[in-house]
Amino acid sequence: MLHKLRLSGILLILGLVVEALSLGWNNAFSFMSFVVVGGLLFASGILLFLYSLVSSKTSSLNN
Amino acid sequence: MIGPQTLVFLLIGASILLILVVVIRPSITASREGKIIAFLALFIVPVVAAGVGASEHMERSEQTQFCLSCHIMEPYGRSLYVDDTAYIPAAHFQNHRIPADKACYTCHTDYAMFGTIHAKLEGLHHVYVYWFGTPMNPIRLYQPYNNRECLHCHSGARSFEDSPTHTAMMGDLKSNKLSCTTSGCHDTFHNVDQLGHVKFWKPTE
Repeated sequence: MLHKLRLSGILLILGLVVEALSLGWNNAFSFMSFVVVGGLLFASGILLFLYSLVSSKTSSLNN
Repeated sequence: MIGPQTLVFLLIGASILLILVVVIRPSITASREGKIIAFLALFIVPVVAAGVGASEHMERSEQTQFCLSCHIMEPYGRSLYVDDTAYIPAAHFQNHRIPADKACYTCHTDYAMFGTIHAKLEGLHHVYVYWFGTPMNPIRLYQPYNNRECLHCHSGARSFEDSPTHTAMMGDLKSNKLSCTTSGCHDTFHNVDQLGHVKFWKPTE
């Protein structure tokens, strides 16, 4: 679980950095960077965090 | 007063700091307080930061500069500087009848229910086609230009309402039976294929 939390955090930080960088310009490329790159990193981070919650609950129930 | 961009950067900064706490010391999640911090750091605050960022991006996508950032739109941007009052977009842009920084959006959004959402979805489609598809050549409107977009500003304006020509056909104009743009009265638009033969206006700095 701790490993997943770390990985989730790193993905989220990368997504947020991409978001911050994309706000430095106002053009279609920065928008696409925000949506595609930032969005993918961000969604992966959030989903991994949620999965870590569910999987830790499942493993504790099994124990 | 904090501007929207500053707010986004503050949220992103706060979010990254909170996430770093969890990344550096994930063992804090063993306690109940730690779990709450992790939930805030890895879910609530980033979602808010991303939401505000997305909203800021959507707001910026209304700007003329954004629309003209695609190479294919460059001649349409140039057409706003044509030195000829018959060119409707140029006359509107140069005389600030529309906000110059939102020129494209002001005329090409739908002034109807969910018009803004519709315009944003079409904008997303434009960006998608530009990057991953083949843009139509020449560019055409998806649907004939609706008088509603003209009347959004002109309806009720004295110069428009006092015109006997407009008064005589007001019903047909408002019901979109008679098009402002194709009935022979106001039919010169971007005409990008003729930009090589026209004079351009140079704004003073």
